Amino acid sequence: MEETLFWSRLQFAFTITYHYLFPQLTMGLAWIIVFFKWRHVKTGEERYGDAARFWARIFGINFGVGVVTGIPMEFQFGTNWAEFSKFSGNVIGQTLAMEGMFAFFLESAMVGAMVWGEKRLGPRNHFLATAGVALGSWLSGYFILTTNAFMQHPAGHSAAADGTLQLANLAAFLLNPWAMIMFLHNQCAALVTGSFVVAAVGALYALRGRHAEQASLFLKTGTLVGLFSCLLVAFPTGDQQAKMVAKHQPVALAAMEGRFHSGTNAELNIIGQPNVREQRIDNPVRVPSVLSILAFGHVSANVQGLDSFPEDEWPTNIELLYYAFHIMAGLGTLFILLMGIANFQRWRGRLEKSRGLLWVLMLAFPFPYIATTAGWMTAELGRQPWLIFKLYRTSQGVSEVVSGGDVLFTLIGFTGLYFVLGVLYLFLIGREIAHGPQGVSLTGKPEVSHD
Amino acid sequence: MIEIWYAILCFMLVMFVVLEGFDIGAGILQHVAGRTDAERRMVIAAIGPLWSWHEVWLVAFGGVLFVAFPAILAVSFAGFYLAFFLLLWALVLRGVSIEVSGHIADPLWRTAWHFIFAASNVLLAILIGAALGNVVRGVPLGAGGKFTLSFFTNFSPRGGVGILDWFTISVAVFILVTFAAHGANGLVLKTEGPVHDRSLRIARLLWKAVLALLVVVTIETWQVRPELFSGMTHKPFAWLGLISVISGLSAVFTGLRSKRELRAVIGSSVFIAGLMISGAASVFPIMLHSTLAPEYSLSAYNNAAAGHGLAVALVWWPVSLIFSVAYFLFIYRHYTGKVKPTDDTQQPY
Ligand code: HDD
Ligand code: HEM
Ligand code: HEM
Repeated sequence: MEETLFWSRLQFAFTITYHYLFPQLTMGLAWIIVFFKWRHVKTGEERYGDAARFWARIFGINFGVGVVTGIPMEFQFGTNWAEFSKFSGNVIGQTLAMEGMFAFFLESAMVGAMVWGEKRLGPRNHFLATAGVALGSWLSGYFILTTNAFMQHPAGHSAAADGTLQLANLAAFLLNPWAMIMFLHNQCAALVTGSFVVAAVGALYALRGRHAEQASLFLKTGTLVGLFSCLLVAFPTGDQQAKMVAKHQPVALAAMEGRFHSGTNAELNIIGQPNVREQRIDNPVRVPSVLSILAFGHVSANVQGLDSFPEDEWPTNIELLYYAFHIMAGLGTLFILLMGIANFQRWRGRLEKSRGLLWVLMLAFPFPYIATTAGWMTAELGRQPWLIFKLYRTSQGVSEVVSGGDVLFTLIGFTGLYFVLGVLYLFLIGREIAHGPQGVSLTGKPEVSHD
Repeated sequence: MIEIWYAILCFMLVMFVVLEGFDIGAGILQHVAGRTDAERRMVIAAIGPLWSWHEVWLVAFGGVLFVAFPAILAVSFAGFYLAFFLLLWALVLRGVSIEVSGHIADPLWRTAWHFIFAASNVLLAILIGAALGNVVRGVPLGAGGKFTLSFFTNFSPRGGVGILDWFTISVAVFILVTFAAHGANGLVLKTEGPVHDRSLRIARLLWKAVLALLVVVTIETWQVRPELFSGMTHKPFAWLGLISVISGLSAVFTGLRSKRELRAVIGSSVFIAGLMISGAASVFPIMLHSTLAPEYSLSAYNNAAAGHGLAVALVWWPVSLIFSVAYFLFIYRHYTGKVKPTDDTQQPY
């Protein structure tokens, strides 16, 4: 049982982290493409049409990998977490089923036509299909985040006679305050990823001196959307996330902040390594009282440390949780700085001449991926040892009939398959970027010249 | 209420098997119906661009099973653990091969991905067939209401069974041939030129094989699950299913003979739906049959989710169904008619 639990956790963590690399770009890029498409329909300017087509091709590859890695996610609830599924299916099954029925049908019907069907659909319907895909992807994010929010902060359920959970109040479940804030924060983070990728491609073309018109369009759109989404990610949404964790999961907050002892005027650790055995932070750099303000809004608020909680309710991996949270919040601050400078330079008309800054923009695109992954680690590790916070332990949820060796086998299988998928993805995306946005025109015939 | 959810689930599974059965069948035949690279692209164009809408029926089926019968989902998904991952990996490979094969017009690239495409479709058909076979035959559910299955034991469909035995293997072969025949009908409808002519010849051949295998599998099922037939007599839906099987088959044969292509496709869809409906109706309310002892079987009545949740879902589900069909129609009306040799769903067209 122990082994099944361990490998199942690792398999879930690996497959979901991998899956989420793709939807974040899907959700971030989708509205940027809708914008280009809308400008194209509105103004008839070909540079917008080219931009929309170029990004749609990249979107198509990204979406495809997102879909194929998403399907195993859906089924792992049943295969690996059978006890959990039985226990909570009537509640979280609602959102998983809604995601399929409301979001995936929408996305999957429209996406093929969005990427390749411009000529058949005509401008109006093609615009609608593009918007449909964007809407579908955000709906899908909403439903899955609501599912996760229930696990973080259960709402709208009651206990059935047989000890399982049942739905008591659909509205309370769907409008869970945790889900609302999580959705806003997570979607802003997706826009950060999307805008950094668009800006990076713009910077690449500018540095190469190719596709000058598109380069400046991508740089402008990427940095502008980037600045707003970076600001929104930190404030108010990130700040609200932290306040919510402080209120409802104080033990997770203590671990995220590396706070071992309770007390007022809580200091914020900016740098330092948690030392769980000695229950302290090594080599800390701290600012007094700031944590009290961030978590509860006033200087003298008492912030509970881990010592206020029984040890069997501490998150199972405090070090990783601490680093993950600090990486996310640290990167978030740097992103604001970077996008601030980039916009300032653009406003002065100097962006395309500042080669140093362009280099930074070009190489910055992996960091939103790192920040989102770290953010999810924070959320998911902070929830441990609970599968549903304070209601149901992770160790209770794992499938009883599956052996550890079977899970290890499938985990190895996923590792191999996803490695190949990753190589293929990078190869195809690299090709599209090398080919560039020009000439992705509507020839109507298969574009053999493409390679 | 429980009957309605059982019916909804059957409906969704039928939609998946009928729609995706066409995609899988066309994929199985890709190398037989299409000889050149361009002809093989036509096969992919014939199933695009809505193949992933078809696949979502499976994902949505999983979601609805989760809401309505969480215990059944838990027991069966965990019990079929390894088989499930094979299915998932085959779905991943197939999806990827459809997505990327068109991106590069290099002959080696195309050949490689077309091979993966066809192979994963064959594997998918066999796995889906074996799964249906397992549900009909039953699984070794014990007193704890759980089971595990190895890939095979002694190949006997009684007692401590494995996933593969002579019964489930023959169901898998039957489904493989049926999907291929269904796909051939679809290709006849959606293509022209040499692919069309070859598909027509293949279809005529395969449907004779379907008929022969149907007889074999029916007799076998009689041996393995006799109550399926005795349960049939007082179930109106089972009769409806039987009528669909017969009328579907006759539509296929007359359609193929008189070259009424749409009739053949509707016929094969009705045939597949009829088989599934009559099976599902006659076993109701047993959802998972135990090969060890009848009292261990899992019934829909004891395993449905409790209370309010099902009533709520009954409100939103029909709404979502209407939306999803509307999306399909919005796109599909741009893609009616036969695909032309220049069409390629992985290129602008
Ligand atoms: C570009 C990515 C990104 C950036 C720059 C930030 N976040 Fe974040 N954060 C996420 C991406 C993300 C995420 C991946 O989207 C998470 C995971 C779960 C969720 O809803 O959003 C998340 C979760 C998350 C959580 C965990 C909630 C929980 O335990 O359930 C907190 C407390 C914060 N964020 C707070 C912040 C703060 C104070 C930031 C300051 C700048 C910040 N985030 C920047
Ligand atoms: C895409 C973002 C996500 C990431 C990166 C992520 C990350 C993780 C990680 C790292 C774990 C392992 C934690 C541990 O065992 O110590 C985990 C477990 C889990 N997550 Fe998530 N998660 C994400 C989204 C979700 C969502 C949306 C759901 C629910 C719908 C979910 C449900 C689960 C479940 C059921 C487990 C296994 C039980 C457990 O260990 O708690 N996750 N996830
Ligand atoms: C345990 C958690 C998750 C499950 C079970 C899951 C399930 C799925 C499935 C089945 C698909 C394929 C849909 C299709 O066939 O069209 C998919 C794609 C997608 N998922 Fe996930 N997913 C999970 C986590 C997430 C998270 C955390 C997000 C975002 C917040 C997300 C957003 C999306 C989006 C936008 C797509 C569309 C395809 C793409 O973007 O590439 N998913 N997911």
